[in-house]
Formats: sequence, C-alpha cells, structure tokens
Amino acid sequence: MLNYKRFAVGKLASLGTRYLPFADVASEDVPLSRLLRLSLFQVTVGMAMVLLVGTLNRVMIVELDVSATLVALMLALPLLFAPFRALIGFKSDNFKSALGLRRLPYIFKGTMLQFGGFAIMPFALLVLSGYAEAVDAPRWLGVGSAALAFLLVGAGVHIVQTVGLALATDLVPEEDQPKVVGLMYVMLLVGMIVSAFIFSTLLENYTPGKLIQLIQGAAVITILLNGIAMWKQEARNRERAAAPASDMTFSTAWSQLTARKGMVRLLVIIALGTAGFGMADVLLEPFGGQVLNMTVAETTRLTVVLAVGSLFGFGLASFWLGVGSRPIDVACYGAAIGVPAFGLVIISAINLMPSLLVIATLAAGFGAGLFGHGTLTATMRSAPREQIGLSLGAWGAVQTTAAGIAITIGGVIRDVMLVAPGAGASAARPYLPVFALEAALLLLAVIVAWPLRRRSIAADRAIAVSDGA
Amino acid sequence: MSNDPDKVWPTGLTLSEAEEVHSYLIDGTRVFGFVAILAHILVAVTTPWLG
Repeated sequence: MLNYKRFAVGKLASLGTRYLPFADVASEDVPLSRLLRLSLFQVTVGMAMVLLVGTLNRVMIVELDVSATLVALMLALPLLFAPFRALIGFKSDNFKSALGLRRLPYIFKGTMLQFGGFAIMPFALLVLSGYAEAVDAPRWLGVGSAALAFLLVGAGVHIVQTVGLALATDLVPEEDQPKVVGLMYVMLLVGMIVSAFIFSTLLENYTPGKLIQLIQGAAVITILLNGIAMWKQEARNRERAAAPASDMTFSTAWSQLTARKGMVRLLVIIALGTAGFGMADVLLEPFGGQVLNMTVAETTRLTVVLAVGSLFGFGLASFWLGVGSRPIDVACYGAAIGVPAFGLVIISAINLMPSLLVIATLAAGFGAGLFGHGTLTATMRSAPREQIGLSLGAWGAVQTTAAGIAITIGGVIRDVMLVAPGAGASAARPYLPVFALEAALLLLAVIVAWPLRRRSIAADRAIAVSDGA
Repeated sequence: MSNDPDKVWPTGLTLSEAEEVHSYLIDGTRVFGFVAILAHILVAVTTPWLG
C-alpha cells in the first residue's frame, strides 16, 4: 500500500508557508522594504483618483462629448460611498474569520470591486457617448452602466484605502506611525503624479481603442500592485479566530468613538482644513491661465509645485513627529501656514505677479502636507488598537466628503461669479472669493484646534509630573 | 503532521477555515462573472458581432 497520503502531507508541510499570502509571524519590527511594498496600494488609489478626476473628466467632456453636468454627476457618485468608510473600518475591526484574518479579506474584496469597475468602464463610457452602433442603445443602459462603473471603482478605492491604512497601523508600533503615514502620503502622491504623466502621454492621440486599453490597463495594474502590496503582510491570529464573535454594534462603537475626548473636535478640524486646502485644487490651473496669463505648461507646473510643497510638508512632519512633536501641533502649523499662503494668492491676482503665485502655491502645498500628516497621525494615535479601523474610517469619511463638497462649492462659487453682473470688470473676480473662503476655513481650523492643542500640552505636563513624582 | 480530527486532508486546514477560503472563491467568481457578462453586453451594444 502506497503511503501517498503521508507523502503528500509531508511535501506540503515542507513547502511550508512560503507560497501562502499570510505573514509567518506578527513580528515586532517590520523592515522598511515590507512597508514600502505595503504602500503600493496607495499608488493604485492615486491612480484611480487621477483617472477619474483628471483624465476621464477631460476625455468624457472633450472627446466623448458627454454633457458637463452628467460628467460632474458621475464623478460625484464615488463620494456617496465615502461616509461608509467608517462602517467598513468598523466591520474589518470586528471581522469574524476562521482563518484569523481581518484586513486581507476586505482588501481582496475592495480590489475586486475596483477591478470590476475599471473592466466595464470604457465600454460603459462608449455606450454612454453613443459611439458606433451604440447610438441606438437605450439611454438607461449607458447612464446606468457608467454609473455602476464609477460606483464600483469608488467603493473599491474607499475599501482598499481604509482597510489598507488600518493594516499599516496594525503592523507598526506607535513611535513608527509617523514614518508610515508619511510613506503612505508620499506613495499616494507618487501614484498620482506618475499615472497622470503616463495617462497624458498615452492619450496624446485619442482613439476609443486607446481609451479601452488605458482603463483596462489600469484595472490590471490595480490587481497586480494590490496583490504585491498585500502579500504576506497580515499575520493569522488564532486567538482572534477562536474568540466568539463580537456583539458590538456599529452605533455603540461609533458613540464610543465620538465620546472620546477631543475626537469630534479632531474630525471637525479635519473637515475644515481639508475643505480649506482642497477647495482650489481644480481651480488653480484655470486661475493661472485666465487671470495671470500663464501658458498650459506653466499651469501644469503649478500643480507640480503644489505636489513638491506637499512632499516637503510630509517629510518635515515625519521628522518632527519622529522626534516627539505632538501631531495636533503639526496640523495647527500646517493650517496656519495656509492662511497667509492663500492671502498671497489673492495679492498675486491683484498685482498680476505669477512668481508670487508660485511661492504661494508652494507654501499652500507645504501647509497641506503638514496638516494632512498631523491629522492622520493624530487619528491613528487617538484610537485603541482594536478600533483602529473605525477611527481611520471616520478620518477617511470626513476627509473625502469634505474635499468633495469643497471642490463642488469652489466650482459653483466661480461659475456663479462668472455670470454675476459686473463680472467682466476683472478676470480675477470669480476666483477671489474662493481663495478668501479657503483662508477663512483654515483660520477657523486653527481656532478650533487651539483648545485641543492646549489640552494635549496640559496632558503631557501631567504625565511628566507624575513621572517625576 | 498531527492527526487533529478537525483538519481536512490534504491541506491541513480545519473545516471552517476551508469553508472560508471557499467563500472567497465563490465571491470572486460571482463578482468577476457578473462583470464579464456586463462587459460583453456593453461591447455587443457598441460593436455587435455575429451579425
């Protein structure tokens, strides 16, 4: 009798866990290379954002001739899903799994949705625009499938980012969290810049075939990069697998979160600051072009300057927080830098000084970097280990919703001012209220943050005193 | 290899673990299947093949 069973089992055992997508052990120190690999999921998130907000926004309006209102509605669809980030984070915190996993299943599902959305998106857009035989297609088919595609991608991005950040927080000890936050932000930025560059090169001469290749290429890259990012990151936890299912409901967990001292205030600060920094994101380039007569190449460079400023901000924030600064201080400084930066933007418009606008943009990016890093680190630190997903979900929900609403409001203000009586007086007029509102929102963020800052200083003193006693 | 009665041959997973792995497979098949069908319908609407 052949002992094939023992042979096969022995063979499998000797293969070990080398080919399984779990981490061997939950090790204490995670090497930088592994964190770098994990941060690849942010690259795909950045890529999806650029594709939706930048590339498709333009392609749908210019090449596919879809009405601007419909495009704006489609692009706003993923935002509907943003508040559910808190729920996703909560669910992944309390996920009941026999395998002892809690982040990996969600990232798998999120990646799948993102891929699925990209897979049907190009054809949905072609049907929507009535390309070739699709002229006779019923209207609901184009609109419905395009809406579904955007919803799927949006949902996927929200899930992957929320749960991915939670996994990153799980992996590192608290003193290394600033490093990880910096890394995650930088990779998001890298993903956005690199893919914006690649997309614009590939779509130089637009054809429907190229659009299909581009979007489906993005789909494949999403699966590949997320796969590489997640491989062997999460350790299986047998204790958690054996523990009975938690009967905590979302509303209890949520009220626990908001009952924590300073949490609601922190979320308000995040909303105000993100809205303040984000409102002019899409207006900066037309502003430079229409008001300061900059060329397309120059206004594109403005966006690069903004990104470089943010990079400096992330770097400095990582350093400061690494040597023990308080996250809320760093966020405060960031918002405080934003106020004069947007003041400078207004001055540059009045005096028609493009060089001043460049400096102001750099400062705004720098402030946004400090602010983003500070608030995300503060969110990570404010939550107990078992509720990381929920607080990061709340952070993401507030942040994405605020940014989306702010961009919409900024666009509406400009468009209303454009048609308002006396608008022809100066090209700058439609933009100035937006920049003024940004500065005001950031000032408000600093004011709201101040008591939180004083409280955290007092808390540190109390700890120092009790240590000394 | 132990002779844990919960473990299923040949993977060494317990029954509930195996079922969980299987559930991800089922999920994936459903989602990708749905996406593939929808994508084919949309392509057929834009550029019909087979007549």
